[in-house]
Amino acid sequence: MVALEDLKQEAKNVLEGGTVKYIIGYKKPAVGFMAVPAFFHKPEDLDALVWDPTCVHNLVLFLKDEKKKKLGQKEPDERPVGIVVKGCDSRAVNVLLQENYIDRENVYILGVSCGKTGMVDLKKVRKYFKGKIISQIDFNENESFTVTTTEGKVEVPAADIFAVRCTECITASPVIHDVLLGGDSVRTPENPFGSLEEMESKSQGQKWDFWQEQLTKCIRCYACRSICPMCYCDECVVDTINFAVYPDTPAEEKAQKIKWVEKSPTTSENFIYHMVRAIHLAGRCVDCAECERACPMDIPLRFLNKKLEKESKKLFDYDVGYDTEIPSLISSFRDEDPEDFIR
Amino acid sequence: MENNHYIPKVARIINIKNEVEGARAIKTFRTQFAGDDGFTHACGQSAMLSVLGKGESMISISSSPIEAEYLQFSVLKTGRVTSALHEMKVGDMIGIRGPYGNGFPIDKWTGKNLIFIGGGIGLAPIWSVLQTALGKKSDYGNLTLIYGSRTSKDLVFKEELRGIKQEMAVHLSVDNEEDRWEEYVGFVPNNLLDKNPSPENAVAITCGPPIMIKFVIKNLQDLGFKDDQIYTTVENKMKCGIGICGRCNIGPHYVCKDGPIYSWAELKKLPQEY
Amino acid sequence: MEKILTKKALPQWLIKLNAYQIYAPVKKENHWSYEALDKPESIRLDHLNTIQSPKMIIFPQREVFFEFHNAEGNTLVMKEPASESSATVIFGVRPCDAAGVTHQDKVFDGHFKDLYYWKRRNQTILVGLACNTPPSPHCFCLSVGGSPHSTAGFDILMTELEDSYYVESFSKKGDTLISLAGDIFSTPKENDKKDKEKAHSDSEKKLKRHIKDLETVPPKLKDMFDSPLWEEESLSCIQCGICTYLCPTCHCFDINDEKDSSSPLSGKRVRTWDNCQFPDFTMHSSGHNPRPDRASRLRQRIMHKFNYFVTNYKAYQCTGCGRCIDKCPVGIDIIEVLEKVRDYGK
Repeated sequence: MVALEDLKQEAKNVLEGGTVKYIIGYKKPAVGFMAVPAFFHKPEDLDALVWDPTCVHNLVLFLKDEKKKKLGQKEPDERPVGIVVKGCDSRAVNVLLQENYIDRENVYILGVSCGKTGMVDLKKVRKYFKGKIISQIDFNENESFTVTTTEGKVEVPAADIFAVRCTECITASPVIHDVLLGGDSVRTPENPFGSLEEMESKSQGQKWDFWQEQLTKCIRCYACRSICPMCYCDECVVDTINFAVYPDTPAEEKAQKIKWVEKSPTTSENFIYHMVRAIHLAGRCVDCAECERACPMDIPLRFLNKKLEKESKKLFDYDVGYDTEIPSLISSFRDEDPEDFIR
Repeated sequence: MENNHYIPKVARIINIKNEVEGARAIKTFRTQFAGDDGFTHACGQSAMLSVLGKGESMISISSSPIEAEYLQFSVLKTGRVTSALHEMKVGDMIGIRGPYGNGFPIDKWTGKNLIFIGGGIGLAPIWSVLQTALGKKSDYGNLTLIYGSRTSKDLVFKEELRGIKQEMAVHLSVDNEEDRWEEYVGFVPNNLLDKNPSPENAVAITCGPPIMIKFVIKNLQDLGFKDDQIYTTVENKMKCGIGICGRCNIGPHYVCKDGPIYSWAELKKLPQEY
Repeated sequence: MEKILTKKALPQWLIKLNAYQIYAPVKKENHWSYEALDKPESIRLDHLNTIQSPKMIIFPQREVFFEFHNAEGNTLVMKEPASESSATVIFGVRPCDAAGVTHQDKVFDGHFKDLYYWKRRNQTILVGLACNTPPSPHCFCLSVGGSPHSTAGFDILMTELEDSYYVESFSKKGDTLISLAGDIFSTPKENDKKDKEKAHSDSEKKLKRHIKDLETVPPKLKDMFDSPLWEEESLSCIQCGICTYLCPTCHCFDINDEKDSSSPLSGKRVRTWDNCQFPDFTMHSSGHNPRPDRASRLRQRIMHKFNYFVTNYKAYQCTGCGRCIDKCPVGIDIIEVLEKVRDYGK
């Protein structure tokens, strides 16, 4: 189990010494109990740093902002950014390294292990503690959490309130890090794709009906895209314009940008949006499930990405975010690949 | 629905003139409505032009309200809608809705010397008020135009400029030396200092690229022009044109409805978000 | 008009309103949402805040302005869609959401009237439910000029009593709804009125969140355009559209032409919601963007709601519903931001 004081000390060491320019971590919100992303620029700010089962965010996402900010600066501070990273998040770092989006020296990784459990699912917590006011959730040494409410502390079996993705996790400790807190934690879930089974057992018609209902709800706020560390393209099929426009970009180029998807949140347009996104995440998604958590309309987006993760494993024996030296799945072809249309 | 502001009126393109060729092409379109249009505009107002299937674009009306036969728009090819407009031919139909915006307060300028300072396509919004002043010359004092662009090929209204030289002072400029260019070489703000117009009983009206406007205003102030003697136009991305869709605001003002014409005295109080 | 309706009789009332399209909050697995109510007996009025406010019904996310066709011989045909809207009753509306509608009314009723909005709005009857307990942990209506039992925007406000509703009508439309089922309503007794008033005053005490001295914020914002606060507060903002799309007062929209897949010459001009947090919202065709970063976009959201709107319409463009706080994926809390503005430089 990670001792928060150790994490604070490690963070303080690198921030005080100037090894990193700032640290991206978690803090408590003004009201409520779910941790929120926090940016620590001064060592004394680190008193507010927290690490508990509510640190759900994949902070790797903020490396996109950092990269864009640096591109706009004439003399950028080249020191790395410190970042608190869980097991799943660490694989997102690896994918960005593999795709040469970031360099290893851009980031100082404070790895934290989730131990025997993982992150809570706010929806499950709310259901479990209906109406009660929660102030704190903590890890335990065993497979449970301690939840503090106004009525006192209770121990809750992890299975009752933690995120489905965490039950299928095989990397509860970061696979890449500069320091590792909480030690290695090896997990061998019985069925890493178990959550897909019910969906897979449905008929084609049932699946169609299910997704039609789900995706019709989409309001196209793009929170799923915005919160995804992998969605970093300047040019996205759903945007009305291309953001990589400069004063000398020819009018023709701008005028000819194809509108693949209309802005209207109709079922057909929503399908195109989510299908394109799912395909673009095949072999890249690390199952942090932030898309599903961020979705205000409760669309079970994780299904789409998890299914493609399973297909990648089944068809190509490809695991996402472990090896930064191999070519990325969607940009490579191997002789033993089962389909030959690309040859 | 009666008075539905979102439905454009249909107009025919009756004339197209190529002002500038190349990557930053400019064409001037004259349009006529099919029937009685009820469309009356003030100098400096704009209209929303539609190419159905492509969308809409807010373009300033460069013809004077005293010209009743047609509406004129000078359009820089820059995106989806303007590129489609550039593809159109005489006889083609476009949609027009408007007019929108506040217009220049020309009633307040009677008897004053008017100095027009423009850069590139920025002459278009100025052109309607310049033409109006020329049409009622006795109402105003001296008229002066200081206008320039990157090269002589990028100047708009080349023929018309030759024509008005008989009636008012016209000082042209290009950014760099060119063969057979006999007028000023340098940026518009510098040409302004060079021509040194007097602020006495004068109003300066400027439009052009944001960076040019910034230096023109600074130089006008150096020449002694007061903030309420300087007028400029603001451009922001627009969709509805009627102050509802929420994207063209600078502070509490919607440029489409409360602008686009501001005196520097008014504009300097607003956030620099344009 | 003031009446009493027993809880049991509520479905009977709805049955009498069969000439209207009725929307009501419906419980989903993890949330509540407004949906067309097909079975009056399934009505439940114990709802928490719905994910979307009734904005989605009165100002739908997508609306066709007109259909167009570029016909042979260079003629353009533009045709408004046939009217589809009928008289609509929205049931169980929370006072914050009704206040949101009144704010939108101001915007769409400016110098230029938005006829598409008004066509729908004029046919909509809002039947509210006072919040005896706050429907969200982040409710703060009292701080922005509202209250858990505010009547603003309502045709009818219902207040839950022990086993009945205290029903107050404030408009002719509301009176009509009651008279359609006149016999199931009874006249309130003196103690009903007292119970209602007690429920109202108690409800105010149950609100957990407040912003003190909010009235000092608008004048302060006037001088905070260039403040570093916007950068600090927006660091974790991911630029999604949740806060604005779920907001009962946000009204910004886009207009686009959608071509028919069958013919490139035909299509529709369509209005869709848009929002100030998307980078393309203000980007010019040249690539120039007057609001180039997260900080300027968060600033616009706060400035619009608590400075510009106050200047233009003498009201905060916020009704304290708490949706933007509850649903922000990175925990940006508008109350916290406003408090920082209030205390800035102190």
